[in-house]
Amino acid sequence: MRSRLTPLSLAVALIVAACAASATPVPATGPAASLTVYAAASLTAALVKVKAAYEATNPGTTVTVSTDSSSALATKIEQGAPADVFLSADTANTQRLVDRDLTTGGVTMVAGNLLTIVVPAANPAGIRDPIDLARAGIKVIACSDTVPVAQYAARLIGNLGALPGYPADYAARYAANIVSKEANVTAVVTKVGLAEGDAGIVYATDVLASTRVRPIVVPERANVPAIYSGVVVRASRNTTAGAAFLAWLAGRDGQAVLAGFGFRSPA
Amino acid sequence: MSVVGRLDESPARAGAGSTPRVPMRARRRGPGGWTLLAMAGLAGLFLALPVVVLVGRAVLDGSLGRALASPAVVEGLRLSLATTAISLVIAVGFGLPLAVTMARRRFRGQGLIEAIVDLPIVLPPSVAGLALLLVLGRRGLLGEPLTALGIEIPFTTVAVIIAQVFVSAPFFVRSARTGLAGVDRDLEDAARVDGASEPQVFRQITVPLAGRALAAGIVMSWARSLGEFGATIMFAGNLEGRTQTLPLVVYGQFEGGDLDLSIAAAAILVLAAAGVLVAVRVLHWGRALDSL
Repeated sequence: MRSRLTPLSLAVALIVAACAASATPVPATGPAASLTVYAAASLTAALVKVKAAYEATNPGTTVTVSTDSSSALATKIEQGAPADVFLSADTANTQRLVDRDLTTGGVTMVAGNLLTIVVPAANPAGIRDPIDLARAGIKVIACSDTVPVAQYAARLIGNLGALPGYPADYAARYAANIVSKEANVTAVVTKVGLAEGDAGIVYATDVLASTRVRPIVVPERANVPAIYSGVVVRASRNTTAGAAFLAWLAGRDGQAVLAGFGFRSPA
Repeated sequence: MSVVGRLDESPARAGAGSTPRVPMRARRRGPGGWTLLAMAGLAGLFLALPVVVLVGRAVLDGSLGRALASPAVVEGLRLSLATTAISLVIAVGFGLPLAVTMARRRFRGQGLIEAIVDLPIVLPPSVAGLALLLVLGRRGLLGEPLTALGIEIPFTTVAVIIAQVFVSAPFFVRSARTGLAGVDRDLEDAARVDGASEPQVFRQITVPLAGRALAAGIVMSWARSLGEFGATIMFAGNLEGRTQTLPLVVYGQFEGGDLDLSIAAAAILVLAAAGVLVAVRVLHWGRALDSL
């Protein structure tokens, strides 16, 4: 009887053990840490340099970066994804985690950005001015409505539509020209760069990171400042190291690296 | 099918009964009997549990009902049903001649052609999406001349259908090819001797004899279309009502943070897929009864 039950009880024990292991966070270890940073897609290029600089000044620490839209990353963290630090392209998605008691420490402002319009390097649709985004037949690649850049873009379009010379239904015409809503801003840059779309609204820093697209100047008074914020995830095993990383990023050295990629100060 | 199965079992059972005096316990447990059962149980649990939990959660918390009132889900479902129906017609319409050719003719490089036709089955869908973009995108091999003629395929419902046909047609061709190759040529010749024309032979002899393989191919092909995600999102984009099929709704709602709606949309896909599998079983069962 005993031997008959062994494989089954072993299986049950394994399942129970697996559940227990995932439910109990291991306490924080020493200073040498392995940090997992979930970051807004627009930070992708800059974080390569950030990782190298941070690891150089903190021997023994390794930084692993995972990028996607801030809204998708926030959802993943809510579902228990193993992030230590979350860098969002807005303050809404970090606040969302704060409100659900999933963070520890405060929210740190880490960077600022502006919006720009990108067109393929060859600009097949001949877009010269933001007003052209409302022209019939233009293919606009946008982001899903919940992605931060889509929310900034909606405000930008609203601001532009209120400028003299713009048609009253500018926003509606822009919306009608959207042919796809991508998962994150880097996908927009890629598809515009492939000339599959005629234009897209992205961050000013995205243009510097791609040679396949070029920017169309947006009037300064209509532009929308983006504020990037970071939090330490409460379930992390490395909350101390995570807080140190955020402080470094918001400090002089981190800001210098980000400035090299066109990011502004968050203030 | 089940009838045949039962007939097959009875001689085996009779044989087991006449085996001389093997101790009861040894026969029941056999070599590794319990280990086998436990592993089989674990495998079954592993495959069933995620789907059961998904559907259970969608039904129990009422999100399935709420999803059917959500425009994104309803539009996604409508688009999925419409595009997969068209994809299936195209896959069968063009796949059947290809299957017939490959099953009936012998030519140089046949193995290579078969491998190329089968390739989309094993390709990651994202690779399929990228490849389609390179051919039919605005800068693509065929896409560029088409664009000059004013025809642009990416980000349209047509692109959704093309992606579905590309990834799903090989399932039909593969199954049809095997089924057609298994048809007894003597039966076709007998019909010809009786004066049947070639189309008559094909319709009344070949297709019915290969019917099960053709039906299986149709089901597999449709199911693959319905589940298509990677090639669609890369080649056709993601826009509600135009290119956002139900699998893209699942992803989009998850990314957007509406987990309940994502689960509900996923549950609809599970139920649709399960419904098709059940329909096929019933179809086969009916066929087995008819043949008695």
